[in-house]
Amino acid sequence: MRTAMFCAALLCVFGGSVSSAVPPPPPPPPLSPEHLTVEALPPSNPHWVYVVDEAFYNETDARVDLFDGDSYRRLGQIDAGFTPGVNLSPDGKTTVVATTYFSRGGHGTRTDVVEFTDNTTLALTGEIVLPPKRDNTLPTYFNLAYSADSHFLYVSYVTPASSFGVLDPAKKTVLGEIDTAGCVLVIPSGPNRVSSLCESGRLLTVTLDADGHEASRAMSEPFFDADVDPVFVQGVPTNDGYAFLSFLGEVHEVDFSGPQPVLRKPWSIVTAAEKGHWRPGGETVAALHRRLGRMYVPMHRGGEGTHKDGGSEIWVLDMKTHERLARWPVPAGKLAPVNAIQVSQDDAPIVFAATEKSDVAVFDALTGRLKHIERRLGQSPWFFLNP
Amino acid sequence: MRSLDRLFEDSSRSLAQRTSRRSVLAALGRMLMGAALLPLLPIDRSSRAEAAEPGTAGAGTASAGAASKTPDKPAPDSPESCEYWKYCAIDGFLCSCCGGSSHSCPPGTTPSPITWIGTCHNPADGRDYIVSYNDCCGKTSCGNCYCNRNEREKPMYRLSRNNDVNWCMANADSNYHCSVSVILGVAEQ
Repeated sequence: MRTAMFCAALLCVFGGSVSSAVPPPPPPPPLSPEHLTVEALPPSNPHWVYVVDEAFYNETDARVDLFDGDSYRRLGQIDAGFTPGVNLSPDGKTTVVATTYFSRGGHGTRTDVVEFTDNTTLALTGEIVLPPKRDNTLPTYFNLAYSADSHFLYVSYVTPASSFGVLDPAKKTVLGEIDTAGCVLVIPSGPNRVSSLCESGRLLTVTLDADGHEASRAMSEPFFDADVDPVFVQGVPTNDGYAFLSFLGEVHEVDFSGPQPVLRKPWSIVTAAEKGHWRPGGETVAALHRRLGRMYVPMHRGGEGTHKDGGSEIWVLDMKTHERLARWPVPAGKLAPVNAIQVSQDDAPIVFAATEKSDVAVFDALTGRLKHIERRLGQSPWFFLNP
Repeated sequence: MRSLDRLFEDSSRSLAQRTSRRSVLAALGRMLMGAALLPLLPIDRSSRAEAAEPGTAGAGTASAGAASKTPDKPAPDSPESCEYWKYCAIDGFLCSCCGGSSHSCPPGTTPSPITWIGTCHNPADGRDYIVSYNDCCGKTSCGNCYCNRNEREKPMYRLSRNNDVNWCMANADSNYHCSVSVILGVAEQ
């Protein structure tokens, strides 16, 4: 009896274990062979931004990253060579890069060129070789710019004598060069006008004929004093021209819609008590939502010589009432000071803010809520472009 | 000194109206080739020098760019420190950290013949000095000891006070490598 019970127990143990064992699942079917393809860009949306990365630590290797402010993904890249000037065509379909290449990488024969990229594919579509005179400086809207009707493309030259080239973007040719008598950069207006900033605080405006040659030129009255309170060269596009901020926080709006620039009365983004203590600064000093009339300015506490310091706050200004609508502290634990800024132009706008640590933060432009931080978006993301 | 500035400005404008750009550039090139040896412009900006406000973030600090500060920070009186007095308006990589010194280019590079000028205060002797910020050219970015200071620096329309342009622009090999600060002389009081 004892033996029978022992056998039953054994059967229970082994038989039970055998009956409860589940055979391992069959392996999943093998992965299908892949086909190497090239990703197509999705349709563009207003929250895309072209991030101009100066790549200062490897300066011959600048690039433009296309970044989606909704998915927070990099969508692609445009090569930008050495100290590039970058801009978009008025219809947003083309990115133009004015840059310099050396025949042996870091040295050798210098070739200056404007390269055209199709923004629906990010493929190069053409180029114009320039005389080796292109300005080698930090990116702004005014290193390379289209006329309003896209008929001309202007490129700033500094050798250090200053002038600008007039290009035909359709025929991919250089039409000519126009001396600017010491004034710098190309501020486009209308179909055939180019203005440049002068040390005297004036704007030189050259009007072109149909062939892109100089028809006339005129000097404005001075609108700033370079000794007392210089303006940053990083103008901010407004509805009828550009606004230039000064080191001390004055806003000089210039209406470029007519034959000659009209200088509006300046106003200040700081109070009398704040003046000289709170300042704009960085590489791109302000951005404007044109329909809302709201300007976003990274601000820092600082004295003379701090005009390239990033902002510890972003101030929101109303362009009509000149009121300060908000002060958004840049969260110091999360973000370094902000040294470049842009805002999308849609009805649910977002602010892109690059920091001194090369991060790019995305804020809700209406509330200031921090939505995302993209760490290390390149080395030197100092300028943003969006249509 | 402001009257001297004005005189120089007026004479420059007059010269610009009378002279072709090519000849100006040729003369400028010849003149500036000696930038490391001879004081160029006896410009006194010291009367307009402002002390940075207490607690301000700007003057004397390296800023901008990824990895802009080295973990082992050199002493402020070291030419490898961004806080070194001669670098008060420099923007770029310190040649002292790239095989050169505060006033010499690294081996195999070429000094820029054109330059921008500043006035810096030397706390050791209490004097203001006119310095020439030359770039060293012909090799790609040194990438070491990035330093960005901007005392009395001006935007690009005042080119001789601007540190945003590549001053290697007129070199045969115009790639930017690093920057130096060369004493030209004592600023007149």
